[in-house]
Amino acid sequence: MNDRYTLKKDHLNGLLRRLMKEYRLVAPVKNTQGDTLFSVLDSIDHAIIDLASQPQSSIKPFLFPQQEVIFDYEHSVTAGYHFEHTPTAIPTAFFGVRSCDLSAVLYMDVIFSKKGRDPYYFEKRSEAIIISLACNEPFANCFCNATKSGPFLEYGFDLQFTDLNDRYLVETGRAKGTEIINRFRHFFDQATEQDSKAQYQAFLEARSHFKQQVHVDQAIKRLANGPLPEEVWHTLSLRCQDCGGCAYICPTCTCFTITDQATSASGGRRLRSWDACTFGGFTRMAGGHNPVNSRTHAVKQRFLHKLQYDVKEHGRPSCVGCGRCVGICFGGVDIIRFINVACGQL
Amino acid sequence: MAGLATTFGSGAMTNSINEIEEAQVILVSGSNTTEAHPQVARRMFDAIDRGAKLIVIDPRRTRLAEFAHIHLGIKPGTDIPLMNVMMRVILDENLADDLFIEMRTENYHELRDMLYHLDLEETAAITGVGLDKISAAAQLYARAQKAVICYCLGVTQHICGTSNVQSIANLAMLAGHIEKEFTGVDPLRGQNNVQGACDMGALPGLFPSYQPVDTQEYREKFERAWGTNLSGTPGLTLMQMTHGGPQGAIRGMRGMIVMGENPMLSDPNITKVKATLENLDFLAVSDLFLTETAALADVVFPAASFAEKTGTFTNSERRVQMVRQAIPPLGSCRADSEIIMALSQAMGYPMEYESPAEIMEEIALLSPIYGGMFHDRFETCFGLQWPCWNRNHPGTTFLHKYFFTRGRGHFMPAEHTPPAELPDTEYPFILNTGRIYHHYHTGTMTRQCSTLNRESSEALLEVNPLDATSLGLRNGDWVELSSRRGAITVKIEVSEQVAPGSVYTTFHFPEAAINLLTSDARDPKAQCPEYKICAVRLERICS
Repeated sequence: MNDRYTLKKDHLNGLLRRLMKEYRLVAPVKNTQGDTLFSVLDSIDHAIIDLASQPQSSIKPFLFPQQEVIFDYEHSVTAGYHFEHTPTAIPTAFFGVRSCDLSAVLYMDVIFSKKGRDPYYFEKRSEAIIISLACNEPFANCFCNATKSGPFLEYGFDLQFTDLNDRYLVETGRAKGTEIINRFRHFFDQATEQDSKAQYQAFLEARSHFKQQVHVDQAIKRLANGPLPEEVWHTLSLRCQDCGGCAYICPTCTCFTITDQATSASGGRRLRSWDACTFGGFTRMAGGHNPVNSRTHAVKQRFLHKLQYDVKEHGRPSCVGCGRCVGICFGGVDIIRFINVACGQL
Repeated sequence: MAGLATTFGSGAMTNSINEIEEAQVILVSGSNTTEAHPQVARRMFDAIDRGAKLIVIDPRRTRLAEFAHIHLGIKPGTDIPLMNVMMRVILDENLADDLFIEMRTENYHELRDMLYHLDLEETAAITGVGLDKISAAAQLYARAQKAVICYCLGVTQHICGTSNVQSIANLAMLAGHIEKEFTGVDPLRGQNNVQGACDMGALPGLFPSYQPVDTQEYREKFERAWGTNLSGTPGLTLMQMTHGGPQGAIRGMRGMIVMGENPMLSDPNITKVKATLENLDFLAVSDLFLTETAALADVVFPAASFAEKTGTFTNSERRVQMVRQAIPPLGSCRADSEIIMALSQAMGYPMEYESPAEIMEEIALLSPIYGGMFHDRFETCFGLQWPCWNRNHPGTTFLHKYFFTRGRGHFMPAEHTPPAELPDTEYPFILNTGRIYHHYHTGTMTRQCSTLNRESSEALLEVNPLDATSLGLRNGDWVELSSRRGAITVKIEVSEQVAPGSVYTTFHFPEAAINLLTSDARDPKAQCPEYKICAVRLERICS
C-alpha cells in the first residue's frame, strides 16, 4: 500500500513555493481570458491556480512539444556532416495533473519506448515529477470511469492528491514522490484511518457523478467481433472537417512528422512536429498515391487505433476518457459519438 | 450588401451565429458551409442533431448537401425563379404571414401580382428541379416557427446578385421569418473583417456606419471631425478601379494603393486587371507577403499580421472583437494604421492617433452603430454586436426587432435574369469557382503554411464522371481549360459533386489562376462580378 499523508490546504502555496525553488513548476493556470491551461508558473502570488475546471490542454506539450528541435546540422566538404543535439529538459514538477492526463503519460511512456527509448521524450520525462489530483467531481464530458483511467488512480503518479475539503490526502506512488515527502516532511502529517475513509467516500461519490454514460467496453467488444458496416464510417466522416483538433488536443495522440529547415547555406535544423492521422498528407506518398485514400478511412483509422489496435497490442484502449475531443470537434465526430454509434451496431 | 440594405435597411446577418443551433428549419443557399464557414457548419450540425430540417440550394452536391433533407440542385444562375416558385407555393398553400406583411412591410402587392402571373411549371423548369421538390421545400420553410436562411457567394456572385438577395429577403418577409430570435436572413461574410470594412465605409458611397457621402448633414459631420473638405460624389467600386483597361483610368485614375488585397489572383479576367495596373503611374501595395499584385507595385509596404498589432475585427454576426498584439512586429513591418498615418503625414495631412484605442474613440464618436464600443469594454467580454448605441448598451444579438432598420421591409420583386455567358458549342461547359477548406482566398498566407500546403498543394478541376467518360479523361489527367478570356492547365478530379455539364475549381492557386478565365460581367447595382458562371472548354493534354 502507498504511504499516506495529509497536507492542510493553507500550506499548499507554501509547498509549491518551496518546489519552485528547485523545479520549474507547471500547473493549471487561469489566464486573463478565463481559460485554464497548463502553464509554467513564474510566481505563486500572481497566478491563479485553477483546480476547479478541467484544463483545456493536457501536459503532453511539455513532454512531447508541438514542435521540437531534434538536432542542428552543419555540412562541409572537408569534415562531412556534423550533428549537434542540445538537450532542453529542465527538472519540472507538474502539479494538479488529472488522472486521465496522468494515464495518458503512462501510455506515452509505452509508445515512446516501443522500439528503443525515444531520447527526446525521455530526456524530458525523466526530469518530470508528476503530482496528480484525483477527480472528486467529473467534468461535463468526462468518462474516465469507462476507460479505467480515473477518477482516482492507484499507481503511476509520484504523488496523488485527493481533496478532502480543508486538506489534501497525499499518497506516494513512485520513488520521486517519496523523495519529495522526505525533503518537505514538515509540511505533511501522517494520514489517519479517518482520512483514508474520507478518501474512499470521495471516490464513491465521484464515481456516481459522471454525467456521461459511455460504454467503452461494449464498443471494444463490438469492434473485436468484426468490422462495422462501411455506412457507419461514411456517415461519421461526413461530419469531419479535417482540422486535426482532436489529435492535437488528445493527450495520447503521438503522431509526428519530421522536417528539415535550412538555417544557413551549409546547415540546417531537423524538427519534429505534431501531425494527425486524419490529414490526407499524413499518409500520401510522393507519387500522389494515398493508401488511406479518403476521409472515411482516415476517421476509421483514428477510432480503430484508439479502441481496437491498441487494445490488441497493449491490452487497453488508448482513449483515457478526458472528453476533450468532444468539446473541440467542429462536426461532433468525437469519440463519445463514435462509441454510441458502435454500441448501436451490436 | 446592397440587396439587404434596400429591403431591410441593414446589410448584415440579422441573427447571431449561435442562434442557428436553435432553428427548426435551416435553408442554406449558395454556401459551401462546411468548407468555407466550418464554425457556422458546426451550428448547423448541432441543429440537425436536435431535429432541425435542412434545405440546401446548390448546383453542386456539397458535403452539407449530403446532410440535407431536401437538396435543390438547381441549374447555375436560376436562384430568382426558384425563389419565385417557392413564394408562389407559399401563397397557394395559404402560408404567407399576412399580419407580418401588413404591419411591417411595404410594396407587397407588386410582389403578389408578379407571383400570380407566374406559370409555375414553366418557372420550375428553368431551375431544373422538380416542382414537387420545390413545393416541399417551400412548405417546410414556411410552416416552421423558427427558420433561418443562410446564404453566401453562390447567391451574390452573379450578374443578378442584388436581385437574388432581394428575392431571398422577399421569401423571408412573406413567411414572416424575420425580426425574431432564431429566425432571420444571414449572409455569411467571407473574411474575418469584411463586415468591419463595410461598417467603416470601405464602400464607394458611404462614410462609416452607412452614412451616405451625398447627404450634406453627414458630410459636414465628417468634415468637422477631419478638418478637411470631403467629396459628395461616390467613389469607384473595386471592379471599376481594376478593370479600366489600358486606356482605363476611369475618372482619370492614375495611382492606386492596395491594402491586403490581391486582385491579380482574386479579380475576374486577370488579363484586364494586369493591363489596368500596369498602366497606372503609381501602384503601392501593402501586404504580409509579396503577392502577385505586389510584384507589379512601385512600392511595397510590409504589413503586420494579426499577431503583431492591436485593434478590432468585426465578424459576420456584427461582433466587434479585440485582437491584442502578441509579438513585436517582425523585421520592418508595421500595423496598417501606422502605414496609413505615415503616408498621410508624408502627404501633408498629419493623423496623430497615439494608439488604436484612440482610433476606436473616434469611431464611436462618428459611427452611431459603434457608438458604445471602446477598447476598455472589450477587456471583459468576447466582443459586442452592433448596433451598440452607447456605453451602457449591451449590443444587439438579432436585428429588426419590432421594426426594420429602414422602417418597413420593402418587397423587391425580381424576374429571371439569364447569366451573362452560357455554354455553347465552342465552350460547352459551365465553370463555377469557389473555395476549399485548407486555403484562404489567394493563399497569400495559407500557401506559406507547410501543413496546409501539404493537405492541398494544387488546384483540382472537378469533372462529373459522365463528362469525364465522354472526354476520355481519368482522375489525375491534365487538361487545358480555356474560356473566351484565357487558358490554364489544371489537373482534374472526377467527382459526383458537380452536375454533368459543369466543372468546378478554386481560385487559391497562382499556378492555375482560374480568374484568367472568369468573366468580368457584373451586377449593375453592387458591381459584384459573376464568378460563379462562365463558359469553358476542356482539352486533354497528352503526356
